This record gives sequence, structure tokens and C-alpha cells, in this order.
Amino acid sequence: MPSDMSCEQLREASAELALGVLPGRERAEAIAHLDRCADCRQFIEPLCRVGERLIGLLPDQEPPLGFETRVVRRLTPDTTAHEGHGSARARGLGGRPVLARIGLAPAAVTLAALCGFAGWAVGTAIEDVTASAPAAPRGEPMLVGDMTSAADAGRSVGEVYAHPGRPGWIFMSVALDGAGRPYSGKVTCLLERSDGGTVRLGEFALREGQGDWGSTARVDSRGVSGARLVSPDGTVLATAHLQTGQVLTGTGQT
Amino acid sequence: MDRLPDEALLSGLATGDPDLAVTFVRRFQHRVFGVAMAVTGDPQLAEDIAQQTFERAWRHAQIYDSRRGSVATWLTTIAHNLAIDAVRARRTEPVAPEDLDALLGVVTETPERWALADEASSRLRAALARLPREQARALVMAGIYGMTAQQIADAEGIPLGTAKTRIRAAMAKLRKTLASVRRGDHAE
Repeated sequence: MPSDMSCEQLREASAELALGVLPGRERAEAIAHLDRCADCRQFIEPLCRVGERLIGLLPDQEPPLGFETRVVRRLTPDTTAHEGHGSARARGLGGRPVLARIGLAPAAVTLAALCGFAGWAVGTAIEDVTASAPAAPRGEPMLVGDMTSAADAGRSVGEVYAHPGRPGWIFMSVALDGAGRPYSGKVTCLLERSDGGTVRLGEFALREGQGDWGSTARVDSRGVSGARLVSPDGTVLATAHLQTGQVLTGTGQT
Repeated sequence: MDRLPDEALLSGLATGDPDLAVTFVRRFQHRVFGVAMAVTGDPQLAEDIAQQTFERAWRHAQIYDSRRGSVATWLTTIAHNLAIDAVRARRTEPVAPEDLDALLGVVTETPERWALADEASSRLRAALARLPREQARALVMAGIYGMTAQQIADAEGIPLGTAKTRIRAAMAKLRKTLASVRRGDHAE
């Protein structure tokens, strides 16, 4: 159990805390203090930004030859990684990691909440996040929904994420490769408004029923109710009901 | 796909689409590898760290929160934390003086290639360059190499209290610089 640290002690240790180099016991005491002291939280926040900015000054460097291929292979292990454009075929939904998403946001580590990414020790803190007592919600509101097949009612054929921030954006992943011959060709993505109207967002191509697409978009979280994918002849291929949720911590989900 | 915002690309990464993965890695690999190299100074170790960074981002994409910073900042933080962990696990000797001086030179230089950098970064570089050398060294040892005040004291042959004071003084000056940028001041 950490002992009580005063505001003065906290401020003396704040630079080391913000840089992530305060030793374990002192760090625990400092975080316990921050948990209950708004003034000190306000004091340390700009120091955390300094730490973050400092790392940002480090120069970019060219990685070794083949790095890109090796990383992509590890991220998509059941595909042949490639360096060129457009040579890979998207995996079906069955082969990808499950996205844990809409949910009630779990905990945040106090320092992470204060210091943004600078407060994270990813790899340790991320695991700690789910194990520690809830302190504040993390994640941000986003519209999320499952795409369901119009021809095969209820069957999940993809996912949609729509971010209402600035810039807002939408991303969808579709795999209409169930029964029958999968559709290939252009499709149009429409946002359904709560008042029954639709807004055309753009077109993209499906190949054998599969495709991913994203774009910047104005997304009004209060005025949008769903998304729809239609073929050029107006046939509705899939729909999604969008709900506001907070992104759920991903630990252990993949 | 090259025009996708960073946040959308990160969300899409979790779908396992190789094209998205390639675009994502291509966009950030120089940044991630650069951070890992700066901290470790070892190309093989830096590559391992950079690979792990992308895997962490892929695995934990759902907890990325744009209110806390950009995708690039998030990846940079992951790479930095992993690099420090790796170095702590390996390092038996303090950072070599010539490595530290070289890194200090890099983070304080303001050549033309940084001309397009945002104002906060430019001002931070300049402020770092104006710090007394011993404070700048302490700050880089702590903030970039992840050395504790005790390790800095040992490496520099100074009392622990002096190491702490140097870190604190340097941070206070840089904090003031960033605050002035936020306020829109042009003179410090």
C-alpha cells in the first residue's frame, strides 16, 4: 500500500514521473496521489506532453531491406506478404481477428488518462489496464455496426466503423461470399439518416464478394442510424444498424 | 487506400487485409524504426522492436483514442517503451558518451529539413539547444534512453539530488516553451 505523498513531493518527482523513469515505489505513491489530487493532475499534464514531444524529435530512419514484407507477414500470417500494390487478396471474415468493440469502456490507468500515450507503458500498462480498478472511461465514442446480408437475412457479412470526429471517417469491411455466386463489381455505400434519408458516401469494388473501403466523411452521430451497400442497379446487398459505443480494450481478444 | 486517414487505416488493420497492412506499415515504418534505432543503436534489435510495435498496434488497435494524440504519436510511444524495455534488459554499461552527444546533436539540430516541422517541435529543438549541456544530457538520458535519476547520477558521477535537479530544471524550461507555443507567444 503506497504511503501518502504530499503535493510538494509529487511536484518534485513530476518530471521523472512524466518521463516514465520514476522508480517503482515512488511511482506507485505518485500515482496514488494523482488519483485524488486534481491540482497535481493539472500540473503534470504539460510535463507529459514535453516527454511525448521529446520522443517526437527523434529522426526517422530507413528500415532494413525487406522489413515491410516481414512485418506484413506477421500481421497477416495466412497471406503471402508483398511489397507491391494490389497484389494481395483480402482474407474472408472468418480468417481475421475478431474485433471486440461495442461495449462499456473499462478502466484507464490514471497516468494514461492524464498523459495520453506518454503515460502508457504499452505491453505492461495495456495488460494492467484491464486488471486495475476502473478509474475513468477510455476509448472514444464511435458508431459501429455489423453488416448483415440482405439476401440471407441476419447473416453477418461485415463491419462498419464511423468516426464522428474531425475529420470524420468511415471504414467498412465486407465479405458477401456466402451462398450463391459472390458479387463482383462496384458497390455504393450510403449512410442512412435517422429521418429516413440517405447520404451517398462513395463507391468501391468488391471482388468475389469481398472488399474493404474507407473514406473521410462527415458523420453526425446523432443523425445517422445505419449504413447500406447497394449495387449499381439499386439492389441492396447489405445493411448495418449503427450504434454509438465506446471502443473496448483489446487485451486478449486476438 | 493511400489517402485513408491514419485512424481509419488503424481500424482497418484489425480486419487482416494485407493491402491495409502494407499501407499502414509503409506509412509509419520510418518513424517506428527511427525511434527504435535511436534508443537501442542496434539495427537487429531495432528491427525486432519495430516489428513488435506494429504487432502491438494491430492487436490493440481498439484502444487507440485519437483524443490523446495522433496515430504516429501512439506508435512512437509504443516503439519507445518497447525499446527502453529491451535496452533495460540488456544494458550493463551506461550509454556511451559519444552516442549521447550524437543524439543530442540530432535532436537539437535545426537544419532546413526541419523547416516544415510544426512550430512546437521547432521551438522545442531550439529550447533544448539552449539548455545547459548537463541539463540537456540528463534530459536525453531520462526521456529518450529511459535512465533513472540514479543511473544518470552514476553515469555522470554526480549526486542523486543533482541528477534529479537537472532533469527537473530541463523539463521546467521545455514546459515553459511549449506553453508559450500554445499561447501563441513569439518570444520566450
